[in-house]
Amino acid sequence: MELDFLYNGLTILDGAMGTVLQRRGLPPGGKPELLNFTDPDLLRAIHREYIQAGSRIICANTFGANALKLAGTGYTVDQAVSAAVALAREAAAGTGARVALDVGPLGELLEPLGTLPFERAYDCFREVAQAGERAGADLIFIETMTDLQEARAALLAAKENTSLPVFVTMSFEQGGRTFTGCTIPSMARTLEGLGADAIGLNCSLGPDLLVPLLAELCGNTRLPVIAKPNAGLPDPATGAYGMGPGEFVRAMLPLVGSGASLVGGCCGTSPDYIRALARALEGCLPAPRAYRASGFACSAMAPCFLDGVRVIGERINPTGKKRLQQALLEEDLDYVLDLAVQQEDAGADILDVNVGHPGVDEAVMLPRVVKKLQSAVALPLQLDSTNPAALEAALRVYSGKAAVNSANGERAVLDRILPIVKKYGASVVGLCLDEHGIPSTAEGRLTIARRILDAARGYGIPAEDVWIDCLTLTVSAQQGQARETLDAVRRVREELGLPVVLGVSNISFGLPNRAAVTRSFLTQALAAGLTLPILNPNQREMMDAVAAFQVLSGEDAGCRGYIARFAEAGPVPAAPAAGALTLEEAVARGLEGDAGRLAREALNAQDGLSLVEQRLIPALDRVGADYEAGRAYLPQLLGAAQAAQAVFEAVKTRLAEQGGAPVKKGRFAIATVKGDVHDIGKNIVRTVMENYGYEAVDLGRDVPPGAVLEAVREGDIRLVGLSALMTTTLPAMEETIRLLHTLERPPVIWVGGAVVTPDHAARMGADYYAKDARQSVEIARKVLGP
Amino acid sequence: MKLDLSEPLRYLGVRGEPDPALLGELSAVADRLTRTVEPRWVWRVFRVKHLFECEELEGSGLSLPGTMARTMLADCGQAAALACTLGAGFEAMLRAQQARSMARAAMLDACGSAWVEAGCGAAEAEISARFPGLHLTDRFSPGYGDLPLELQRDICAALDAPRRLGVQVGDSLLLNPTKSVTAFIGLSERPQPARIRGCGHCALAGSCQYRKEGKTCGA
Repeated sequence: MELDFLYNGLTILDGAMGTVLQRRGLPPGGKPELLNFTDPDLLRAIHREYIQAGSRIICANTFGANALKLAGTGYTVDQAVSAAVALAREAAAGTGARVALDVGPLGELLEPLGTLPFERAYDCFREVAQAGERAGADLIFIETMTDLQEARAALLAAKENTSLPVFVTMSFEQGGRTFTGCTIPSMARTLEGLGADAIGLNCSLGPDLLVPLLAELCGNTRLPVIAKPNAGLPDPATGAYGMGPGEFVRAMLPLVGSGASLVGGCCGTSPDYIRALARALEGCLPAPRAYRASGFACSAMAPCFLDGVRVIGERINPTGKKRLQQALLEEDLDYVLDLAVQQEDAGADILDVNVGHPGVDEAVMLPRVVKKLQSAVALPLQLDSTNPAALEAALRVYSGKAAVNSANGERAVLDRILPIVKKYGASVVGLCLDEHGIPSTAEGRLTIARRILDAARGYGIPAEDVWIDCLTLTVSAQQGQARETLDAVRRVREELGLPVVLGVSNISFGLPNRAAVTRSFLTQALAAGLTLPILNPNQREMMDAVAAFQVLSGEDAGCRGYIARFAEAGPVPAAPAAGALTLEEAVARGLEGDAGRLAREALNAQDGLSLVEQRLIPALDRVGADYEAGRAYLPQLLGAAQAAQAVFEAVKTRLAEQGGAPVKKGRFAIATVKGDVHDIGKNIVRTVMENYGYEAVDLGRDVPPGAVLEAVREGDIRLVGLSALMTTTLPAMEETIRLLHTLERPPVIWVGGAVVTPDHAARMGADYYAKDARQSVEIARKVLGP
Repeated sequence: MKLDLSEPLRYLGVRGEPDPALLGELSAVADRLTRTVEPRWVWRVFRVKHLFECEELEGSGLSLPGTMARTMLADCGQAAALACTLGAGFEAMLRAQQARSMARAAMLDACGSAWVEAGCGAAEAEISARFPGLHLTDRFSPGYGDLPLELQRDICAALDAPRRLGVQVGDSLLLNPTKSVTAFIGLSERPQPARIRGCGHCALAGSCQYRKEGKTCGA
């Protein structure tokens, strides 16, 4: 389809389908897609009314025509889509109106919000998109999305499996976020990067409340912008929408004035609204638009504009870090998440993620780590790998706009990396080196930076998405190079205007008092124009230097950020008198930092295993006994468990440094059963047990019985915990137990959760019932040994 | 709105006078949640048709079978269907907190439960204000008493909750986001007694720690 019309004039879309059908007799909760078979005349009539009212693009009745929503209706996706598109085509015949395949949310939440994997969502959308193209749709209209990841899955599926143009709209609340927390810049820049042909806002609000949101959207995209609002807000008492056609159209005009060029309606609108809208806009042209070109990275919830200094946290990189190497080899993603959380809390803006290590399959590990990090950390990520397969796999599942670290000036490298960067709309870090090495002059590095920029442009990557790393060399080895690096930073900023990256820590390698050198270099580089320092944000003095620079450069208006930074630190808490606090007390009182410190000290005189057995476990037991007696409560039990974790971490780190085997007692598997999405109870039990030294195989939540069986068989696991919160999921628990009992050597099974009682446990054939985490530990002691 | 900490304390199993350190930490968690939380709700009012086998909410597709619905709506010409949620934002906050501190995550979870109840209370006040002169019954929810949990699906459909609140009903009838509640409230010309609070209506009465100690949880 020629898309010129999108840029040359206003396009009138259609209005609501669902609420119009309800007004004409569809009961609430009824599936509109079934009308494609039972009442085709009604649908044809509605489409015709919209076209007669002025709609130039109509949406076929396929909003819920996906495999998940059609399950149990007796119709396939292909049947529902082809029937609906055919009806719309018949209505549009001879009118010049285009027919869109309408694609709504799948009706199940994707991970990590729900349990639907990204890949499964993609497959569902692919099926719909392919059916739509076969049926003769002119374009694909993905709408009413609230989860950026779901919108991405649908857009990718449409782009990769059809040749149709794709429009995407999402529904925002008045505060400028969707239900799942997605922001407008994140939505706009991610979807434009992924190749959408037009994007916009639909549903949720009336046009009046959409004005500021639409203006923000227009500033964040170069694409044509769609506005399809509701007819005001519904009256809660009756469900009727508040705006009549006249009021709706008056409120629509400012949206057109701010730059919307494809306009229609959503819930509560009807052909009358569209007729009034088409009349009011006759002869109007799209308003001029002002796009804010800016370096940018984001997750769905956290947009990061590169309009000042932004710190990239460097800690997730196994080079020279034994503990992280071990975690990657053992697939201990919680440890990686912990590194991310610390850096987020320390004030990093973007996190570099590198999982390259011998024995680690990056193409498998990088996407897994991305999913894990995005489940609990909001910061945008910089994917650090030279492996194109790993980068592609990770960018696919990354929700937002990522950065790729790195390409360089070598043509072969550029041709390998840039197409992937372009396809997923990422930013790319280009290192100022090529097949001949690192140029020793600033001039040489600038030449390579230019080459990288030209190559990126050649692939259609906008200049603001090209970040240049001018390369820090070790000053003790090549003293003259510090100056060249600073000159290169200055010239890349001045002559190319691109964001500049530097890994600053490398400067001081091999020198005493490294922090002094690094900090001085950091400050000079910032003054030269460095925008993206890569550093360890846990080093307070580095972050202080950045904060101070932001004050001096004027970026931190009114010094507010700087003042807040030091206000937050507050008075230093009174330290207990030296020697007063014992490891046991630190654990009992949940003092994580102290427990870790005291454990590190103790490890100088005592080996890890005896520290755990003789000091840690007895301390935990005392808290456990208090908990049972009602003298301590869940938060205190968990606080102690966390402090114990700090002790374990100290032991693990020491062992990794010495190359010894980790302290491990027996292994248990734990899962929240199929159908149950509440997992905090299971996580509490897991945390406490792990901190007694038992190794958890956490199967997650909503786990099908077969998956538990598989994991137990594969891992030869002897103890399995199952959790259920609702009576409706007890049958799934029972089924899981039944399946496990079909094993030749069934594991010991214990169960728990809000609705589970000792009676249930016995009836279902579980070996034990535990009312809480504490009892679970006792069961593990019996089964796996103390 | 400020959160009454006695509820989260109860959810955490804390009985008696809480330790000041615990209380301090809990109130910090609660304050942080209060700054960001936004309970959202939708409700609609329908006419009640009293049939032999059920109470039907006209035009909603909702039929409420059983004794609880009959008793609760006996006096009512109309009833509200209500859904309230803390949304996916709370889930994200809880996941982030679990990655940092399980102890604080447990507190946050308890505060979240209290907040969604507070949201229902606010929705109830809104309904009450909209129908001056009518008296509201207690809220009653699918899955409690003999009101079937299967109604989750119908109540969410009737309220268009997936689209308007982002609340989905899973195959096992659990709501997602997890801090979500659906409920019915009868509207009557006559003052309504409190009917459903108390142990007689609680599924956990058999194994309740409070009851074993001869106390009640207060809900």
